[in-house]
Amino acid sequence: MSPSIRASGWSVEEMPVNGRIQAFRRRTARLPVSVMIFSTILALIVILAILAPYIAPFDPNKQALLARLKPPGFAYRGDTFWLGTDDLGRDLLTRTLYGAGVSLGVAVLSVVVSSLVGVSLGMLAGWFRGWTETIIMRIVDIVMSIPAILLAVLTVAVLGPGFLKLVLVLGLTRWPRYTRVAYAQTLQVANLPFIKASELSGAGAARILFHHILPNIAGPILVVATAEFGLMILMESGLSFLGLGIQPPSASWGSIMSIGRQYIERAWWIVLVPGACLFLLVFSVNVLGDWLRDQLDPRSRSR
Amino acid sequence: MSDPNAHVLEMRDVAVHFGGRGGLFGASGQVVKAVNGVDLTIGRGETVALVGESGCGKSTLSNTIVGLQAPVSGSIRVGGEEVVGADRRKLNDIRRHVQMIFQDPALSLDPRSTIGATVGEPLKVRGVAKGAALKQRVGELLTQVGLRAEHADRYPHQFSGGQRQRVVIARALALEPGLVICDEPVSALDVSVRAQILNLLVALQKRTGVSYLFVSHDLSVVRHICDRVVVMYLGRFVEIADRATFFDNPKHPYTRALMSAVPQADPVVQRGKERYVLSGELPSPANIPSGCAFHTRCPLATEICSQVRPELTPRDDGARVACHHA
Repeated sequence: MSPSIRASGWSVEEMPVNGRIQAFRRRTARLPVSVMIFSTILALIVILAILAPYIAPFDPNKQALLARLKPPGFAYRGDTFWLGTDDLGRDLLTRTLYGAGVSLGVAVLSVVVSSLVGVSLGMLAGWFRGWTETIIMRIVDIVMSIPAILLAVLTVAVLGPGFLKLVLVLGLTRWPRYTRVAYAQTLQVANLPFIKASELSGAGAARILFHHILPNIAGPILVVATAEFGLMILMESGLSFLGLGIQPPSASWGSIMSIGRQYIERAWWIVLVPGACLFLLVFSVNVLGDWLRDQLDPRSRSR
Repeated sequence: MSDPNAHVLEMRDVAVHFGGRGGLFGASGQVVKAVNGVDLTIGRGETVALVGESGCGKSTLSNTIVGLQAPVSGSIRVGGEEVVGADRRKLNDIRRHVQMIFQDPALSLDPRSTIGATVGEPLKVRGVAKGAALKQRVGELLTQVGLRAEHADRYPHQFSGGQRQRVVIARALALEPGLVICDEPVSALDVSVRAQILNLLVALQKRTGVSYLFVSHDLSVVRHICDRVVVMYLGRFVEIADRATFFDNPKHPYTRALMSAVPQADPVVQRGKERYVLSGELPSPANIPSGCAFHTRCPLATEICSQVRPELTPRDDGARVACHHA
């Protein structure tokens, strides 16, 4: 990584360009090309999701029943549906834009909730051992032995559907994976001499857990989190499909796809458009997650 | 002995056992008697070597002294204060006076903390210094061990093994402890830097008056640095002697076996040397032989050795040896 960085940084210096651009290039020259591409895609998705109400060509719920299941580029009574229409003649581009915010929001918030719960419990179990460990890890076993979707269905059935409830349901059913990883990593790190040295220094449990263990187990947790991110969007679509997630007529990528699934032979674009967006989003998050994991490790940072 | 301040460490009849209690599902393991009734006193500014083969209880004993492992019986006084039975806060206070240097410097520094943060941690968490004062003190400590104050912002991976061990030493000395336990401090280092680290330890001792308990199985290192040598076998001390006495006139057969295992640089001396080879393996500490624990491997063993355990008894030259025949 570092030779190419140095090489491109050097060539930038040679170029007689505007100072500000030069400074920007010098800073970004350190980033690998893949990271630049996928962070741009991610930023684009986020911006489009935020701006959806202003840039979408149609009302997301406006139906045109005579223009049902029309292919991309279809023009009808002066309106052009650039990405086609769905089964109720709603503009797919508009719904995908609106759905981005919902899908992103659910995924980000539920990953935050589940990782906070999961990582703290895992670290506590791995550090204190004994009864704390037994109780936490048995609960993990129990939660993991129940199919997540079933647990989510049960919880939604009790709490009722809704955006925040969906986040809560996903967050509270997906934490055990973080706990398992955090627990195993904590066990490993806690036995290293530098933790013993910290104890001898007089550091308490809180300081050791946050200052020494958490930074050293962050890498694997980040990998779990990026994998979970994609899964959350899919879980959301699954729950929405069952009528337990985002309620129609609100759009989310998952709900658009689950509708499109029924028409995949006649109207492939309904599945393809949000599906491709989902693929790009998850892929970008994974690439950035891997890069960030390397950045968190001072050993791989060039100086 | 009458003045408690004269000693940085006083251990009386310390025993550490592992296992034996029934687990959750009733699986009761054997009791491993890692340390079995040892007495040791270390004076101010003294360096005591603790030698013995792997598994003899050296590491357990060091962990017990710093309070990371609780003994089943006995008394350990560090700087005059009792470690055994101390509550968390008390233990934390006592740990000011005893610090540790570990074997592998690559594992004893947090890879995600700058070395400044690592060295400053004991000062920070105990509220000794903060802000600019902390930074300055860390700089002084780093200078003291032969590094530069600017190194504080670097991470451990940017240093060599010898430099990392210097950082570990700086951290151990941050609180100006009376006793530092050095657990094989140079065995993970290149031979070329061992002498540097040993000389640094000696120089720091002269300057600060710190005492060392030097855990090692490398007798050439021990000869270089120690005032007194303690030999441990299966959780008990078998010989305690001053350095000169120890190296000139080793008495316990186990000690003599250890000595003869050290190769001499001179081939003539090496070939002419009395060979003292032990047979058999170190017995399991879960199943210590009766009488003298060493009798299963001892060339001098007789009937009495398997029945009566020899106590440490003083000899003419001041050494204390636990053997019926030596």
